[in-house]
Amino acid sequence: MIPSLISAFEAAEQHEPESVAEAARTMQELARGGRCVAFAGGETELELGGRPARIDAVARTRRLRRILEYQPADMVMVVEAGVTLAEMQAAAREHRQRLALDPPWPDRATIGGIVATGAFGPRRARYGGVRDLIIGVELVRADGAVAHGGGKVVKNVAGFDLPKLACGSLGTLGLIAGATFRLHPLPEASETVVLRGLSAAEVVAAVARLRAAQLEPVAAIALRAPSGYDLAICFEGFGKGVEQQVTKLRQLAPSARAASDEWPRHDLVRVGGPLRIKVAALPTQLPDLDQLLAPLGLRFAWYPTLGLGFAAGAAGEEAPALLADARAELVRRGGSLIVQTAPADFPFEPWGPPPASFPIMQRLKQNFDPDHRLNPGRFVGGL
Amino acid sequence: MLSQAAIRALRQAVGERNCITEPEQLRTYECDGLTSFRLTPPVVVLPGTTAEVVQVVKIAREHGLPLVPRGSGTGLSGGALPVPGCVLVGLARMKRILEIDLPNGWMRVEPGVINLEVSRRLAPEGYYYAPDPSSQSVCSIGGNVAENSGGAHCLKYGFTVNHVLGARVVLADGSVVDLGGPVLDTPGYDVTGALVGSEGTLGIVTEVVLRVLRKPEATRTFFATFPSTDEAGNAVSRIIAAGIVPAAIEMMDRLAIVAIKAATGVDWPDVGAALLMDVDGPLAEVEHTAQQAVRIAREAGAMLVRVPKDEAERQTMWKGRKSAFAAVGRISPNYMVQDGVIPRSVIARVLREIEELGARAGLRIANVFHAGDGNLHPLVLYDARIHGQEELAEKVGGEILRACIRAGGSITGEHGVGADKAPYMGELFSEDDLATMALLRCSFDPEGLMNPGKVFPTPRLCGDRPGKYTPHPLEASGEAGRG
Repeated sequence: MIPSLISAFEAAEQHEPESVAEAARTMQELARGGRCVAFAGGETELELGGRPARIDAVARTRRLRRILEYQPADMVMVVEAGVTLAEMQAAAREHRQRLALDPPWPDRATIGGIVATGAFGPRRARYGGVRDLIIGVELVRADGAVAHGGGKVVKNVAGFDLPKLACGSLGTLGLIAGATFRLHPLPEASETVVLRGLSAAEVVAAVARLRAAQLEPVAAIALRAPSGYDLAICFEGFGKGVEQQVTKLRQLAPSARAASDEWPRHDLVRVGGPLRIKVAALPTQLPDLDQLLAPLGLRFAWYPTLGLGFAAGAAGEEAPALLADARAELVRRGGSLIVQTAPADFPFEPWGPPPASFPIMQRLKQNFDPDHRLNPGRFVGGL
Repeated sequence: MLSQAAIRALRQAVGERNCITEPEQLRTYECDGLTSFRLTPPVVVLPGTTAEVVQVVKIAREHGLPLVPRGSGTGLSGGALPVPGCVLVGLARMKRILEIDLPNGWMRVEPGVINLEVSRRLAPEGYYYAPDPSSQSVCSIGGNVAENSGGAHCLKYGFTVNHVLGARVVLADGSVVDLGGPVLDTPGYDVTGALVGSEGTLGIVTEVVLRVLRKPEATRTFFATFPSTDEAGNAVSRIIAAGIVPAAIEMMDRLAIVAIKAATGVDWPDVGAALLMDVDGPLAEVEHTAQQAVRIAREAGAMLVRVPKDEAERQTMWKGRKSAFAAVGRISPNYMVQDGVIPRSVIARVLREIEELGARAGLRIANVFHAGDGNLHPLVLYDARIHGQEELAEKVGGEILRACIRAGGSITGEHGVGADKAPYMGELFSEDDLATMALLRCSFDPEGLMNPGKVFPTPRLCGDRPGKYTPHPLEASGEAGRG
């Protein structure tokens, strides 16, 4: 048993390739030595998943930090894996563009890590997740071969979709050395309004009203507070469009107010606490989910149009049993509960029961990493 | 080869009526929308349920017969082209809508459901299914999943893969597996993402979970004419540079306009190029962006800007665009359509290159395409009755694809690789890229029974250990480097 993941990472042999060619050589060497390898980018989600059974070496991407191509007219950017989200956004912002992804820790989170973990933030409601924005990937396989999938154009169906396969694969299929994304224009205006003190059922009803009224928020977050949920709704676009949508929302919900601190508070839920979990359920199942999570006493942020949420806080003694109950119920309804971070020796399997498609996933792992050397045991079902 | 025993078993599996062996009837299935490739399959089965598909797959496997799935047969890359000795599996009978959950934005359908039927079914509630291939009135959802179909409106809304949440698939070993589902982020690899666009090579899809969307509050459409594709292309670039994300922005060149006019009777003027554009969303946003886009189009040289006076006229304009391929059939006995993609910034240059290729070969080329995302559809016109012209057209088509690859693009944006473009895959991807894709394939279908001969330029065996590093063709030629 590894006492601490961080110390296991630090104790391992360190590699920091400066080019994809060097990364490929490193991977070849590790393959020859039969050595198990884990990967690290900005170390924002290092604890996600099970603890690898063995780590002999760590390949870090922080020196793969070049923006390789950016043609603003095409709204496409090609980057190496170690570029941080903030660096990518800064380059895009000069041309009034952005990558429409907003996971936590943009200053530290690297593109490679974001792809590997499938990280996302509230704007996924409008723009989709990493899988919907990535258009190309460069993958260094377990044997050191370098494979490209997708390309540099937004619309492309040539070949199998390796970029999507890489998303959320958590360093178990290969080292993500680089990725290509489609960008979006930076909006001219952005405004957030909040409805306070809603019950879980009222959150569901409010989202239904928004949709019925044909409002198109880019993001919505329901934050659980002692007095009920605060539902923050963000509109972006051209000034006139945003203004009309806010006005229309206020007609539907006269208590709506301009919001100031909902987004930072939401980030706290995403990043804070010794125990962090992610839950997935159908959007209308929030009232039941609310009941299931309440006894855990965690802070809770729910993306009510997506059916995804995050909860964080202290892990009480009852936590494992309560989580087990919540997970069983969510899984029964087609959802999931994943433990993202937990205290050392927390007696709870992070992923839950593998999905119906697990046999395919096992074969994928076997084919991409036949010797099970890449983050062995870290992923779903011990992959 | 197909034995009588296999045919008897297939008959028993799907019923006498749904197992076709009569040569005349089999000919219906000899090709898809790519009619220059034909092969009459020895047997066609039309299963009605997942259980029947399972039986068909098990029989095929037992007898070592390849399986070729087929939806409506509208594909343009030969994805549903039969292979020798195959069992062709037509999914057209599986056309039930199984479940609709509008509050959570999804529905479950069988693969034979027609694309447009989905939106029709949802229309009374004010919802729709976003991907809209031009063939949407006849193409099936199962075919869309296989090809990762696009359409004019995927510029803003994305492709089939962005709207498929899950699928039930029968694998080559006869197992039935559910991938993904209505709840997002199923733990594990994104196998749904891997399945969509795999062109029937990973399994046979028997149910699909689709994302459905609330209709936007407003849509504004305009049609603008330009002296040439240069000005029209420039207008597209400037509209997008202004931060506008149109729902669709389509370009037609002179020859395409002539063909569409002849076929549909739209009263468009004879001009060098035209754009048809939709913006949609909340009313004020749409009115602002439509005004801006029209202003920019005028600045970029638009001669005439026409706004439809009502929904009927708007539908006529779009019908003109969507019937463009068929319309070209009116001005030429035969045509071949390509589906290459290029970065938006080089549209004008590559169009000129395409024009020169046509001129050199003495063939006319009409262009009607998704300008917003650089997805070209050059239609190479020819007459198959003239000896050698079909081969010449194919050669020109190949050169067009190479021009797209050189420009940093792709050989297919929405039609798929199929049998048609498999030979070009080695020019777009390195040996390692293809070998890695084969690893994915082998994870679903280790014996290669599902739609063999499609996508990959050469057959690949599963179980080979990956080979040594070989440079990408572009790298070898000095046009691209690594890391």
